[in-house]
Amino acid sequence: MVVKKKSAPGPYQPVMARTWWLQHRYFQMYMLREATVLPLLFFIGCLLYGLYCLNLGEVQWQHWLAFMAQPWVVLLNLLAFIASLFHAKTFFELFPRVMPLARPGLMIAGQWLATLLVATGLVLLLGGWL
Amino acid sequence: MSKTINIARYNPEQDSQPQLQAFQVDSDHSTSVLDALLQVQQQDPSLGFRWSCRMAICGSCGVMVNGIPKLGCKTFLRDYPDEVTVSALAHFVVEKDLIVDMQPFLAHLSAVKPYLINDQQNAEPHRQTPAQLAKYQQFANCINCGLCYSACPQFGLNPEFLGPAAITLAQRYNLDSRDQGKAARMPELNSKNGVWGCTFVGFCSEVCPKKVDPAAAINQGKVASAGDFIISMFKP
Amino acid sequence: MIQKNAPPKRSDEPVWWALFSAGGVCFAVVVPGAILALALLPALGVITADSLSYPRISELLYQSLWGLAGLAFVGSVICLPLFHAAHRIHHGLHDLQLGGGLLSKVLCYGSAAVISLLALYLIS
Repeated sequence: MVVKKKSAPGPYQPVMARTWWLQHRYFQMYMLREATVLPLLFFIGCLLYGLYCLNLGEVQWQHWLAFMAQPWVVLLNLLAFIASLFHAKTFFELFPRVMPLARPGLMIAGQWLATLLVATGLVLLLGGWL
Repeated sequence: MSKTINIARYNPEQDSQPQLQAFQVDSDHSTSVLDALLQVQQQDPSLGFRWSCRMAICGSCGVMVNGIPKLGCKTFLRDYPDEVTVSALAHFVVEKDLIVDMQPFLAHLSAVKPYLINDQQNAEPHRQTPAQLAKYQQFANCINCGLCYSACPQFGLNPEFLGPAAITLAQRYNLDSRDQGKAARMPELNSKNGVWGCTFVGFCSEVCPKKVDPAAAINQGKVASAGDFIISMFKP
Repeated sequence: MIQKNAPPKRSDEPVWWALFSAGGVCFAVVVPGAILALALLPALGVITADSLSYPRISELLYQSLWGLAGLAFVGSVICLPLFHAAHRIHHGLHDLQLGGGLLSKVLCYGSAAVISLLALYLIS
């Protein structure tokens, strides 16, 4: 008869907790970067609703404008705006490392300039100044 | 000055998981974490850890210091005014105390064929201009310490992921003007466990003791792999 | 050690990564201005309801630049950012050990594709 020897535990296999990303600030900032898409989805939802209203006609369009002026909608869109800027900051800093085309500082400044120009253009156009 | 250092102890013959044990060590301005571990070993010779060169080139004294991957010889107690907790490198199997099994890491390194591949049977030396050297030089500074693997949550979540050092090394040889092995390396990089296992967390580059920037190497590898993908669509 | 003979399978990730990157550029460069002009400045009264009137917006979206302006707007503020978001959610689910497999891939990129088509239909 073979007596089974009581085996020693042996090497320790670490397990990764689901909350691993809470353990360090660096990982928290990573998750925050990934989470910027959640308020973005809200803004995209607003736009889809707007396109739908525009299709239905002028009365519905007025409803959409009123919807967009509601405080909770403005607040969530403010959050989306902040998220888009935070995403831009991280994205612009990573880009020169993925495609080192020029000096990193120059590339980052160039990308912010692009954001500024597009924002100015959109505001002037939709504000009726263009 | 006396200082407390907590060490995650693990005895494979008894323990089911690592346990912290506190030790007192003498610490002055120049005491490194490795020096402290050597002092502890004087008190308790059963403490297991790896070390060799003491000068951040052999890459064998990697440990977690307060949860961050560090080389013990390059990390100083003076920078930790409060408590210091030292544990084995994260995401690796712990053999004993601070000693981990590096075999998966070494297997990933060898999978990318990290050596010059060149069929030319030529007695002449391969000449290289400074500009050609500059293309890969930063990625050639890796000392294979494995800190980037302990910093990488994607490796922790998926041990099959080739990981930062291996992909950086592949990129280092792919960018070398003397090398012709890119076609042999790309299949590994093109797979889901190659460059595409990375989500650019970027912590690997933060902890790298040689400033190799593996995250940049991997993401440049994504550009290369995407190019390879497009080329493959036009091949029969 | 087992010798691996067959090379590993090529990942289709380049497709999703390209869409993610393009969407990331749009999210960083175009979306901030779009939120300012369509949500925040109108709420502050800087951009008036007159300038966002039905005839004006309809014309901008459906007619200006032979309809290309509307297409560019929907592409850069809705479709590509949707694929960017889908990619991050798919990988985020993997990070949280909640998914990351085929199911979350189909759901994430599938809904991005369906909603994109819907948006394109709405401006056609």
